[in-house]
Amino acid sequence: MNAPFQPQGLNPFDNAIDRILAEIALSVQLPPSLHSKADGRYGAVRAHLEASTAFAGQIEHFYPQGSMAIDATISNRGTDDEYDLDIVSQLGGRFRGMAPLAILIELERELADYPVGKVLRQTRCVTLCYADRMHLDITPALRVYGSSDRESLITHGKGPQPRTDDRFVDMNAYGFAEWYRQRTPLEIRFAKAIRDHWLGLDNALRAEAEVDDVPDQTAFPVKNTATLALQLLKRFRNICYADYEGRMPPSVMLSYFAGMAATPNMSLSDMLIRQARWIVRAIDDASLYGRLLHVANPACADDVFTDRWPADRQQQDDFAQHLRRLINGLEAAKRGEMMPDRLMEWLRAAFGGRVVTKAAEHMAQAVGRSVQDANQSYTRRGGLLIPAASVAAAPTVAQARPHTFYGIKI
Amino acid sequence: MDGSPLPITAQRDRMTRLWPNFRFGHLGRSGEGGRWVGEVRPQFTRFLIELKYTLFNMPQVRVLRPALVRLPANSEGALPHVYPPADDPVLCLFDPNAKEWDAGMYLAETTIPWSFDWLACYELWLMTGRWTGGGRHGSLIPSVESLP
Repeated sequence: MNAPFQPQGLNPFDNAIDRILAEIALSVQLPPSLHSKADGRYGAVRAHLEASTAFAGQIEHFYPQGSMAIDATISNRGTDDEYDLDIVSQLGGRFRGMAPLAILIELERELADYPVGKVLRQTRCVTLCYADRMHLDITPALRVYGSSDRESLITHGKGPQPRTDDRFVDMNAYGFAEWYRQRTPLEIRFAKAIRDHWLGLDNALRAEAEVDDVPDQTAFPVKNTATLALQLLKRFRNICYADYEGRMPPSVMLSYFAGMAATPNMSLSDMLIRQARWIVRAIDDASLYGRLLHVANPACADDVFTDRWPADRQQQDDFAQHLRRLINGLEAAKRGEMMPDRLMEWLRAAFGGRVVTKAAEHMAQAVGRSVQDANQSYTRRGGLLIPAASVAAAPTVAQARPHTFYGIKI
Repeated sequence: MDGSPLPITAQRDRMTRLWPNFRFGHLGRSGEGGRWVGEVRPQFTRFLIELKYTLFNMPQVRVLRPALVRLPANSEGALPHVYPPADDPVLCLFDPNAKEWDAGMYLAETTIPWSFDWLACYELWLMTGRWTGGGRHGSLIPSVESLP
């Protein structure tokens, strides 16, 4: 019997375009130290609630949803270092007879004295705002018994008084995360390369900042190319809508398209183009027939990801236009048509000035160090492979020899 | 290396083996020189580069296209680690005083990969304003006699 096919993935650090895209994605994703803190905070909040009279014995499940459940957490819109994390708190029988707003108010009351900077009741969740600018959204949910995969009803209540549009909303975040994970399996070569680089970045930061120890991380922060491309897509969306007050294309919808477009062993830039194209096609199809884009949770047809965006056809067409700009830029970069100064301008416009500058700095340091130490090698077309990238990488035709740049300033 | 100059035919053969996308042409009638032109892509951009070499002279590498971008206010100069003329610069890939190159070495194993290093550092210099590949700037262009 043949062994099952195990995709290895491509090392994004083998190729300059993919490398800088990976550097950008890693600089906006949840860093290792906060990743570990988030895990601890989930447990602490659950313990706090279970110690209360109202919630004791009433928490059936407490699990991450959204980006945290699929390793796609990046800084939120308008920031480079604030992170929104989502938890579903599946509640037991005592809450089944209560109105949505009453549940939210009860949750807010029990968390009012929780040791964080601020506790905010939102329309569908209660948010804990930590001093390090992490936000933890806790969404109360009631399991729909007899259904599959933890299908649940979540609370929707704007408050402060009950309103006619208060309601329970069908959702299955757990089922969606399972669906996404099945479509985006581990690519071991890719995941190892990303993990090693990610931990290295955090260690370097911490050496500069002299803050807490970095916890030992053995899990892979990102398991496959599709998810890293999804992070870039979300970052691109955040930058496009940074100065826009209204709703933007929802992350869960982008995750759905990333899952649909996923295919193994593709380069990071090709995967990002593929995901963007997939969405453009879906929008163009909808607009052609005068419809709004409709995307539902593959694990729960009543869980509609596009229920609050787009509000009209113009919104979806605008997003498709942004995505075409992304595709065109990436394709030009891949063809080697952009001089690096123009490429930097384009990357800054697409992904934000500060993170792109940081990514280029990291790359310049790594390449410069390698050239000075003469430990790089070269591909047939002259491509530089620096040591971390050259393990099981593209075939090389020559090894470096030490030399010293000279010349005069002109 | 013992420093005995390698004949152009040996340089040509090694170039063909390692970098087959470079086209070769003879320089001069005596067969003591060669010119190689090839398209390379060390990192982001495709460059067409030219290597000219005649025995007992320094190898010269130029970027034929695209035109090299200058950063006039940069601390490394408007274009680092080159020899004039400013409008047709030659890349400076080794320190002549450090005996890093002599005519007994293969261009394919030294000058060409060093050109890739220069281009990679140049690209990142354009992106960050910092030349991270090391090296030093002198004040004089070395004479042919100063070469090993």
